[in-house]
Amino acid sequence: MKKLVFSLLMLMFLVGILAGCVSENTSGSSEEGSNDSGGEESSDDGEMNIAVVPKLVGIPYFNASETGAVQAGEELGVNVEYTGPTQADASAQVKVIEDLVSKNSDVIAVAPNDPASVEPVLKKAKDQGIKVMDWDTPADKELVDLSVKQVDDEEFGRHMAGKLVEAMGTEEGKIAILTGGLSAANLNLWIDAAKKEFDENYPDIEIVSEKIPTDEKQQVAYQKTLDLLKSYPDLKGVLAVSTPAPLGAAQAVQEKGLQDEVSVVGSALPNDSEPFLEDGSLDTAVLWNPKKLGYLTAALGKMLAGGEMPEDGQEIENVGEISVKDDGKTVIMGPPADFTKENAGDFDF
Amino acid sequence: MKLSKESILGLIALGTFLFMALLAPGFLSSNNINSMMFQIPEFGLLAIAMMVVIVTGGIDLSITYIAALAGVGAALMLTNGFGIFPAIIMAILFALACGAFNGFIVSKIGVSPILVTLGTMVLFEGVILAITKGSSISGFPDAYSLIGNGYYLGLVPFSIVIFAIFAIITGLLLSKTSWGRRVYMYGSNEVATLYSGVKNSKVLMKVYLYAALLAAISAIIMTSRYNSVKVDLGSSYLLQSVAAAVLGGTNIHGGYGKVIGTIYAVFVFQFIRNGLNLLGFHSSLVDVVIGSILILVLTMNFFSDKFKKKQEQKNASQAA
Amino acid sequence: MKSLFKQKEFSILAIVLLISSILTFVSPVFLTVGNLLDLIEGNVVIGILAIGMTLIIITSDIDVSVAAVTTAVAVSISYLFGFLPDSWISVLLLFLFAPVIGLVMGLFNGLLVSKIEIPAIVVTLGTLNIIAGLVLYITNGNYVNSTSFPQSFLSFSNIEILGIPILIYLLAIVAVGTWFILKHTLIGRSVLAIGGNTQSSVRVGINYQRVKLFVFAYMGFLAGIAAIAQTAYTKAVDPNGMIGLELTVIAAVVLGGANIHGGRGSIHGTLLGVLLLAIMQNGMILARIDTYWQNVVTGAIIVIAVSYDQISYKRSQDKLANIEVEA
Repeated sequence: MKKLVFSLLMLMFLVGILAGCVSENTSGSSEEGSNDSGGEESSDDGEMNIAVVPKLVGIPYFNASETGAVQAGEELGVNVEYTGPTQADASAQVKVIEDLVSKNSDVIAVAPNDPASVEPVLKKAKDQGIKVMDWDTPADKELVDLSVKQVDDEEFGRHMAGKLVEAMGTEEGKIAILTGGLSAANLNLWIDAAKKEFDENYPDIEIVSEKIPTDEKQQVAYQKTLDLLKSYPDLKGVLAVSTPAPLGAAQAVQEKGLQDEVSVVGSALPNDSEPFLEDGSLDTAVLWNPKKLGYLTAALGKMLAGGEMPEDGQEIENVGEISVKDDGKTVIMGPPADFTKENAGDFDF
Repeated sequence: MKLSKESILGLIALGTFLFMALLAPGFLSSNNINSMMFQIPEFGLLAIAMMVVIVTGGIDLSITYIAALAGVGAALMLTNGFGIFPAIIMAILFALACGAFNGFIVSKIGVSPILVTLGTMVLFEGVILAITKGSSISGFPDAYSLIGNGYYLGLVPFSIVIFAIFAIITGLLLSKTSWGRRVYMYGSNEVATLYSGVKNSKVLMKVYLYAALLAAISAIIMTSRYNSVKVDLGSSYLLQSVAAAVLGGTNIHGGYGKVIGTIYAVFVFQFIRNGLNLLGFHSSLVDVVIGSILILVLTMNFFSDKFKKKQEQKNASQAA
Repeated sequence: MKSLFKQKEFSILAIVLLISSILTFVSPVFLTVGNLLDLIEGNVVIGILAIGMTLIIITSDIDVSVAAVTTAVAVSISYLFGFLPDSWISVLLLFLFAPVIGLVMGLFNGLLVSKIEIPAIVVTLGTLNIIAGLVLYITNGNYVNSTSFPQSFLSFSNIEILGIPILIYLLAIVAVGTWFILKHTLIGRSVLAIGGNTQSSVRVGINYQRVKLFVFAYMGFLAGIAAIAQTAYTKAVDPNGMIGLELTVIAAVVLGGANIHGGRGSIHGTLLGVLLLAIMQNGMILARIDTYWQNVVTGAIIVIAVSYDQISYKRSQDKLANIEVEA
């Protein structure tokens, strides 16, 4: 054991000495610059390359935004590459971005899994003259050239809370909150906003237990909701944040035949929630149009690469009127969209 | 000419490198080489840690959560105004505590490692959740970020220097010290090792401590590189590190495994992942390719072993 | 009665009973028929997979590709729904197709393990990557929900006999069937023999390769059945829905007393292991344990359970040794 401690100390000492020689840049960085400078104006085939990085690939929500982004690429004549990790893992996502930086994209738009973790790599991208933006979930504000948001987080959370109260038809009673995962920053923002709304405007609503994680899985949400219904027989409503959670919650309500007793409101895609909206086990799915979000991201990416900035109230084709916040670089796509029994069939995502 | 398993894998690594260099645009750009060098250390350290445990015939499923917990330790110190040095110590202490816990139950109580670490995986994840409430801790001093993002002497990434140092140390520890020899002995036959007067429990305890130490170093690099720590820090590396160790020739039943083999395997994974990304492959196909390579290489090993045996038999019969 | 106490499964039963009684005390809802049925039905898939995994672990191997195989079969089922007519025959056909698809994947694992002699954890790690990657690539992760399911399948999944959901009967059939195979068929006895002592069992003429092939193929077969159960239970097919389930399955099996080094393990022990995990999951919300501490509690219980089990096993071995010496 003594030996171990001793060798550890030696090691620290050694590393300490080494650390003295660490610098931020390579001494050979000048030659690198000459290599890459060509990429900014026009890449090899003269087309603009816009990389759009979702939190992960292979889930319906980000598939829908992929459709939008690719469509924008075709219509606007830019190269859109839509790629991301297969798991919502911060380090895997950073690797994907690093590869994109190597590829000399003109613009990289990221939906960060963990805003802080993409900071270094986005800095690196900027140093090479790549324009960076975030979409879906904000990254560090100082760093990005443009930030595309689907809705205002505060408004979205409060809106969901309001919808739940509306569906319950009463301003008192017990409700539970399901979330995709405890560490999802945007979900937490919405939940906090929703809680604020309950606190300020509906003080008689009691939230049972802390927010309950569902691992982004419908089945887990289903089982936890079953448990909740048993544990709190007088439960009036469930607020389910993250796209699979409302489906699981609604399935539990459907199976127990409690459509009239328990209201479920959450963020879900209309196609997935249709079977639950139909019989009222899911009252309202609140979200935005992810296809439009993908389209908007790619479209704004093109503007950014061309040196333009969007303006407040500007009309974007296929998306609609956008608003730009006071800082001049936060773009908000629009108000949240409600999907209900009546309109859920009209969408193709 | 006889080639060891490791040298063959080294050739495969070289082959994939050349293959990607030919096919993937920008694979050889100084930029890309650089970013690969930044990506290798964190995964490489975890793979080596896993290898050391596998050599004893065990496995450490909690390794990525040990790393995450170590990262949390460092982050807590940094965000509370302590310097880099205390933060690093704290990360190592957190990890060693986890390692000691695993080591105690494996070596003293004698529960099989896969069970213990399956439990501690959930346990450590829980501890991190309880500390962080699931949110990420970020905002470290700039100097700290140099560990994972800086260059040594302006030439090579500092993190790869750290990785090289620990790879060499691990190699030396395993091959030159009595502890290292006992690790291999224990892995090939624990009963015989015990009867030859070795204190198995001490050897094992140190294995889990050492794996945890490597996890802590990896965590320091990761937290510095990503400038934050969250409960899932590096969680995607868990099965990958087992795959790298095994592809590197480590015997999953224990008794055999070399650092250099694991490093070659890490290179193979890195080149494939990076190259396919540059080629614009769908990310899920990258997994398919890596899985196929794992199986193909081991199948090749099997047939080459068989072939060798046949040759030997032939030679033997000819001699007779 | 004495033999009951000596049985290895007894310690896990004791823990199950202990936690159950605590939960009954904390929450009156726990010990209701409705809750228990929900709890079992929710774990049918894990139960079926764990039974298959028990056989593999008895022969001292492991299969980490189960969740991926099950997902792949479930996705295949959702494609099959497009071709099959909406009638009872389709449901029957499904019970033919799904296990066969799983069986093929299991055979692939089995061949690599038995003929090519690659360690099982490596083979299945490889097939996990390959199958999960292909499933994600082909489906792009898209959900298939109940609107595209044939009515006959939906009504099948809602059947209750004597108030008990059909899926629970499915688990019971799988459990009894596997128990029968283990106890009363040659291949089943061989599984136990190989796990107990590979060398001597090979010497008495058991075909080692064939047994290995069998356990992996059987695992695939059960994964096919589990896929049907999963589809019937969630009434949706989610290509991402089972990621990481393999670790839960393995945890259940080893908690149930199967020894990862082979030779020990039983169907009823495994079912107890599944039950223990299920109760803990269920109990967290019923007992109103703080969200952030749930994993700490789960992890601690697993560690304590396996340690306790090992200690009591060691003690019984010591006693055995003593008796032998005295005799």
